[in-house]
Amino acid sequence: MKRTLRSFLLSLPMLLLTALMLTGGSIPREPSRLAALILTYLFFNTFFFLMLHKGRTDRYRAVLFVTYSVAFVIAFVSHLVEARGSMALTEANMIEGETPFCHVVIPMTLIPAALTKTIIFPGSITGTHASIAGMFVLWIGASLALGRGFCGWACFFGGLEDGFSRLLKKPLIKGIRPSWSYLPYAVLLAVVLIAAISLSPTYCMWLCPFKTVTEYVQVTSVKIAIQTAIFLSLFLGLVIVLPILTRRRTQCSFLCPFGAFQSFTNKVNAFDIRIDPDRCVKCGLCTKSCPTFSIDEASIKKGTTRLSCMKCGKCVDTCPKGAIAYHVKGTQLSRGILPRMLFLYPAFLFMSIMAGRQIQDAIVRIIRLVTTGSMI
Amino acid sequence: MKKLLSVLGYGWAVITIFIVLATFIGNNYFSKKFAGATGVTVSPWFSGGEVTLVVEHGAYRVSVHRPVFDGLTGERSEGFVQIDWKPAGGLPRVVTESITLPDGERVLVRLDTATGIAEATSESAGVLGVERAYKLRDGWAVRVLLRRLRSS
Amino acid sequence: MGVEAFLLGLSNGAICLAYCAPVLVPCLMGGVGASGLKSDSLVVLRFLAGRMLGYVAFGVIAWVLGHSLTRMAGLQEPVVGCCFLILSIFLALYALTGREHTCAHSRVTALALRMGASPRLLPGLAGLASGLNFCPPFLIALLAASRPGTLQGSVFFFLAFFVGTSLFFIPVPFVGMLRRFPSVRIVGKMAAGIMGLYYAYTGLTMLIGGLRTL
Repeated sequence: MKRTLRSFLLSLPMLLLTALMLTGGSIPREPSRLAALILTYLFFNTFFFLMLHKGRTDRYRAVLFVTYSVAFVIAFVSHLVEARGSMALTEANMIEGETPFCHVVIPMTLIPAALTKTIIFPGSITGTHASIAGMFVLWIGASLALGRGFCGWACFFGGLEDGFSRLLKKPLIKGIRPSWSYLPYAVLLAVVLIAAISLSPTYCMWLCPFKTVTEYVQVTSVKIAIQTAIFLSLFLGLVIVLPILTRRRTQCSFLCPFGAFQSFTNKVNAFDIRIDPDRCVKCGLCTKSCPTFSIDEASIKKGTTRLSCMKCGKCVDTCPKGAIAYHVKGTQLSRGILPRMLFLYPAFLFMSIMAGRQIQDAIVRIIRLVTTGSMI
Repeated sequence: MKKLLSVLGYGWAVITIFIVLATFIGNNYFSKKFAGATGVTVSPWFSGGEVTLVVEHGAYRVSVHRPVFDGLTGERSEGFVQIDWKPAGGLPRVVTESITLPDGERVLVRLDTATGIAEATSESAGVLGVERAYKLRDGWAVRVLLRRLRSS
Repeated sequence: MGVEAFLLGLSNGAICLAYCAPVLVPCLMGGVGASGLKSDSLVVLRFLAGRMLGYVAFGVIAWVLGHSLTRMAGLQEPVVGCCFLILSIFLALYALTGREHTCAHSRVTALALRMGASPRLLPGLAGLASGLNFCPPFLIALLAASRPGTLQGSVFFFLAFFVGTSLFFIPVPFVGMLRRFPSVRIVGKMAAGIMGLYYAYTGLTMLIGGLRTL
C-alpha cells in the first residue's frame, strides 16, 4: 500500500504535465477526439505508474514505443493520402517544399548548411507540418535532454523493429560479430561525404528503409526503381526478418547513420548507464539482451555501456544482481530511485508528447474507419 | 569538489525536464528564431532558386528564377533555370516565354499544358534543353538545363 | 601565366579537396600501411602523385586537341567511368583486407590479401581517378590550359594549377591520427567499402552514358 501510494505520488507531476501537453490547453469537443485524448492520457500514465511501481523500465517502455510507431505509420500515411492522394512523392511536391523533414537526414545537411547556408532537403524552413526548423529544434532539445536516448524513447521508426524483435522468445541467430556494430558509423561517414559533394540527401534517396511505411519517390525511371528495390529489401531484412531472428534492433545497430551521429550526443548528456563491478557476476545476460550491442566485456570492465547506448533500460531490467542502473553524470553511483526518476521524467515526457499526438490521431482515424468505413 | 560535481550533475538532470517542455511549448518560437539566426534556406537544387523576374500576362503570370549552378564551395559546370507559370486555371493550352540569361543569351521556352511537354530553343551552346516540366498544385514549372561556358 | 594558374588552383583547392575527400578520408582512417604522420603523409603524396599524373595526361591532351572540347568531353565519361570502376574494386578489396575470416570464400580472401599486400596502389589509383575527373575547377583549368599553344605551356599550366590546389591537402594527413582508436580503423575500412559501391555505381553510369554518346 505504501509503495503504491509512493508510486502514485511520484507519478503526479507526470499526470499534470501530460494533461497540459496532450490537451495543449484546450479540451476537444468532438467525441472521437475527446475519446482519443482520454484513451491516450490513460494509456501513458498507467504505464508510467507501472514503470515506477514495478521498478521495470524496458517492459513498459516497449509497449508504448511499439504503439507509437504503429500509430505514427497509420497517422502519417492517412495524412499523406488525404493531402496528395497517395504515399508517392512527386518531383513537383519536392519543388513546392511539401516533403516533411525527417530527423534522419540531419547529419547530411550540416556540412552543406555550414558552407552554403542551404538545407539539402525538399521541405520548408518554417510554417508547415514537420518543417525543417521545427525538427531541428526538436532534435537539439532531444540531444540535450536524452542524448542517444532519442533512439530508445522518441524515434518514431524504432518501435517497429523493437516490436518485431520481441516476437520470438529466443533468438535463432546468435553470435553476431560485434564489429558489425561499427557499420552505422561507416554509413554515416560515407553518406555525409557523398551528400556534401552531390548536394542531395544520399541516405534518403538510396538507403532509408522506412520509406516503405512513410513516403517514397514515384517510380518514373530505372534509377528510382533500383532505389525502391533497395529500400524495400532493407526494410524486409533489417526491420522485420533480422530483428525477429536475432531479437535485436538490427536497422539501428547496423545501418542507421542518424543513430551513429546521435551516439556522440551521449557525451554531452546528463545521463548514462553504469555497471557496478562489485555486484556484477559476469553472467553476460546484459550483453545478450542489449538491442544495439552496446554492452560487451570491455565496457563491463569499464563499468559502463558503449557510446551507442540508447538508455532503453533493457539491461537494467535483465541484470539478475541489480548491478546495472541509470546514473547522473558527476554523481556517485547510487542504488536509490533518484537517478532513474531524473532520467525517466524527461525521457517519458518527450515520448508522451511526441507519441501522444500520433496515437490520438491514429485512434481518431480508427474510429472513423469503424464508423464510416474509411480512415480519410 | 565531489559535492560541487554532484550538485552540477543533479542540477543538469533537473534542467532536462525544462528543456523538454521548452522544446515543445516553444517550438514555433524557437523555429523562427533558428531560421532567422542561421539564415538558411532550402537548397536551390530543390526550390529552384530565388525568383528574379515576374512577368504578368493578364490571366497568368510567369516567374523566372535565377540560374542555379550552386556547388559546395563554388559553382558547378552544369545547372538549370526554372520558370513557373501560375495559376493553372488561367493558362492557355500552349504558353511560350522568352527569357534572357545573365550572360545575355536568350532562351525561348514553350510548354504544352495539356500534355506537359516542354521545349527550349536557343542559339547559345550553354542551353542544353529541357530537364522536365513539373505539374504543380496550381500551375507548371519547367527546368531548362544550362552549362557554364565561361570561367568564374 | 604560371602565377595565374597557381592562383586559379588556390581559389579552387577547397572544391578539389571536397571531391577527393570521399576516398582519402576512409583510406586514412582505415590505414594504408604503417601508422604515423610520416606514413600518412606518404599516402597523401601518393594520392597527389596520381592526381598529378592525371593532370599531366590531360595537359598533353589539351595541347594535342587544342580547342576541341566536345571531343574531349565525349572521351571523358567512358575513361573516367572505367577508372571509377577499377577504383571501386580496389576499395572493396581494401575494405576486406586486414581482417580475419573476411569472407567465407577462400578465393576472395586470397585475392583480397594479395591486393592488401600492395596498399600503395590504392591512393595512387584514387588520385589518378580524381585527377581525370572533370570536377569544376578542372574544367576551368582545362579551358585556360588550351590557350598557351605549346605542349610545355599546357603542361606547365596544369602543374602550376596542381600545386595551387594541393596546398589544401596539407592538413589531410592529420586525419590519420584518429587511427590510434581501433574503432576508427574498422569504420574507415567499412566506409571505404561503401565508397566503393558509390564509385561502382557512378563509374557504371558514366561508362554506359559515355559509350552511348560515342
